[in-house]
Amino acid sequence: MHSWFVALSHSALGHAMQTSKWGFALVETLHLLALATLGGSVLILDLRLLGIVLRKESARIISRDLGRILLGSLLAMILSGVALLSEEALKCYYSPAFRWKMALLAAAVIFYFTLHRIALLRADQDKPNLWSRAAAVLSLSLWLGVGVAGRVIGLL
Amino acid sequence: MPLLQHFCQLLYDSQFGTAIRESDYAFSIIESIHVLGITLLAGTIALLDLRMLGLILRPVSVTRIARSVLPLTWSGFVVMFASGFLLFWAEAAKNYSNPAFRIKLVLLALVGLNPLIFHTTIYRRVHEWETLARSPWRARAAAIASLTLWSGVIIAGRLIAYF
Repeated sequence: MHSWFVALSHSALGHAMQTSKWGFALVETLHLLALATLGGSVLILDLRLLGIVLRKESARIISRDLGRILLGSLLAMILSGVALLSEEALKCYYSPAFRWKMALLAAAVIFYFTLHRIALLRADQDKPNLWSRAAAVLSLSLWLGVGVAGRVIGLL
Repeated sequence: MPLLQHFCQLLYDSQFGTAIRESDYAFSIIESIHVLGITLLAGTIALLDLRMLGLILRPVSVTRIARSVLPLTWSGFVVMFASGFLLFWAEAAKNYSNPAFRIKLVLLALVGLNPLIFHTTIYRRVHEWETLARSPWRARAAAIASLTLWSGVIIAGRLIAYF
């Protein structure tokens, strides 16, 4: 794994990010813009699961449409994130905050595609119950955790 | 010294502003809350904008989405404004001459004007068009303005740190 991080920091992308004056700032801004739409779609999806917003609307349609926004934003965040990573790959490799962020991200994405999805698809027949509420709270906590760990990378 | 600059210097030199600036973690923590506030604000209003453009949730009426989303947008605004003011308090004298900060303030004024125009004009007759898959062009124009301006606010805000 260490060699991948070394390779990334020595790649053309890494070189461009390390030497460009505005590269990091611009990519970071993109990362932040995608964060806004990711956060918005996660929040509305989970509030629907909790039965707080759009209760009478089809969870299937909300899940499909907001899922697209979520995945599009996630893709933009991962691509811009790789570019940010290439600027300081080895610092991140040894950063506990970065490792936490990646672990939480993996958990959030796996959870989103599995149990969270099942809960959303069931939300049309069943009223919000303990399970769907737990899925919403867990989803919000995981995504929030990714964000907080990401912020901490820059502080440690 | 211009009056505004004098006021910024006063905030900057105040005990409270200095305390935020010199604390090890205060600024970063407030900044993180600021980013969460922006996510809440921009992320939720973007969904209403995308609905009016006819890109998402077409079967759901515009007013239903507005009713679900706007309280969250306003909460985000309160969080963003309060935390943003604290950040400004700590950095006011530097912000005053920062070009990114100045641009951000102009964009914020414009982004405030947009819903004001929207709600007093086309949104008054929303019941005539709330169920259309694609809203009338005035509403779509407001949606595009909102998406563009909020993106601009985020970009300018991020760039403050680089000047």
